[in-house]
Amino acid sequence: MAIESILIINKSGGLIYQRNFSESFASKLNSNDFLIIASTIHSVFAITSQITPKALQITQNNVDYVIPYIPMVGMENSNPQQNRNSNVPVKLGSYKGPDFFKEPFISWNKSGLRQLSTDQFTMYIYQTMTGLKFVALSSNVLSNNAGTTMTGSIDRTKAVNIASQVADNFLRKIYCLYGDYVMKDPFYSMEMPIKSELFDKAVKRMVNNLL
Amino acid sequence: MTIYSFWIFDRHCNCIYDREWTLLANPKSGTTNSKQNDDVSKLLYGIIFSLRSVTGKLSTDDTGRTNEISSISTGKFRIHTYCTATGLWFVLLTDFKPFNYNKVLQHIYSDIFVKYITNNYLSPYDFSENENEKRGQGTRKITNRHFMNNLESFLEPMISS
Repeated sequence: MAIESILIINKSGGLIYQRNFSESFASKLNSNDFLIIASTIHSVFAITSQITPKALQITQNNVDYVIPYIPMVGMENSNPQQNRNSNVPVKLGSYKGPDFFKEPFISWNKSGLRQLSTDQFTMYIYQTMTGLKFVALSSNVLSNNAGTTMTGSIDRTKAVNIASQVADNFLRKIYCLYGDYVMKDPFYSMEMPIKSELFDKAVKRMVNNLL
Repeated sequence: MTIYSFWIFDRHCNCIYDREWTLLANPKSGTTNSKQNDDVSKLLYGIIFSLRSVTGKLSTDDTGRTNEISSISTGKFRIHTYCTATGLWFVLLTDFKPFNYNKVLQHIYSDIFVKYITNNYLSPYDFSENENEKRGQGTRKITNRHFMNNLESFLEPMISS
């Protein structure tokens, strides 16, 4: 899954971080366009929780919010071809071990927008408990249009679910980086745009590992 | 696969048909063209309209092909849309199990809507008759018996299976 762009939206709907990792949007959209897109996503996110179908309100829904841990998403050692200096342990800021976390985790985003699939890209949204939103635009097109055969649809079930689970794992790691390089920066003022070179580099490295 | 509700919007931003199933075990349950669903239909329209403008902006294709939404997932359900060039939106709210709902919506449009609404002299082709119904204020709904019966019998196996 190739990440084209990453956005971070603060709890009041303002865009605080946006980076493109390919040329596809860079030439067409300016920073003002991305501000509008971010606040639109924020407002749609708020509306989606209002239109839960009645059938789901009556029965207690059994949607599973536990996101399984998918090993080494976006980490240095994830790609064996790139594994040149495997003897040197990778430093993950204040996190120990080869990966940021090792357990499945619970999604805080229980009724908001999570994924938007279109003909050309897929957008994944991860929301934290504090209301911060991490958005990843991936150029992968997910077809949840499974074949009519039962076996085919089961395979695609897994494919669609795994893509959004990988995205949740990846965006949680970006959140870990945010905790390390943005929250521990004394010059950063809350809710303001992020201008941290270390954070930038760490995010870029993680996106490149994912290719 | 389970479907929760089905909606049709016309090009004047009006909801012209809505059907919501409340008890999934009973396909006859629920509401059709309900006044109570007016607010929900406006919120649903707003979500799709906003996200269509976002995807239109983020379109990476230079050939002029529009970037249509295929599905919108939330924490609890998934929205499938099928938009026609004449401005009709067919919207289906479902659970997360993947199935080719685009084909379902395409079938509803081409084999049920076109057959019983478009090819019907007695049914209005545009559900907004005067100017003050054309800005999302209209309340006219599809009440055609054949359309409703055929839609029901087509969607019935999908409600809870």
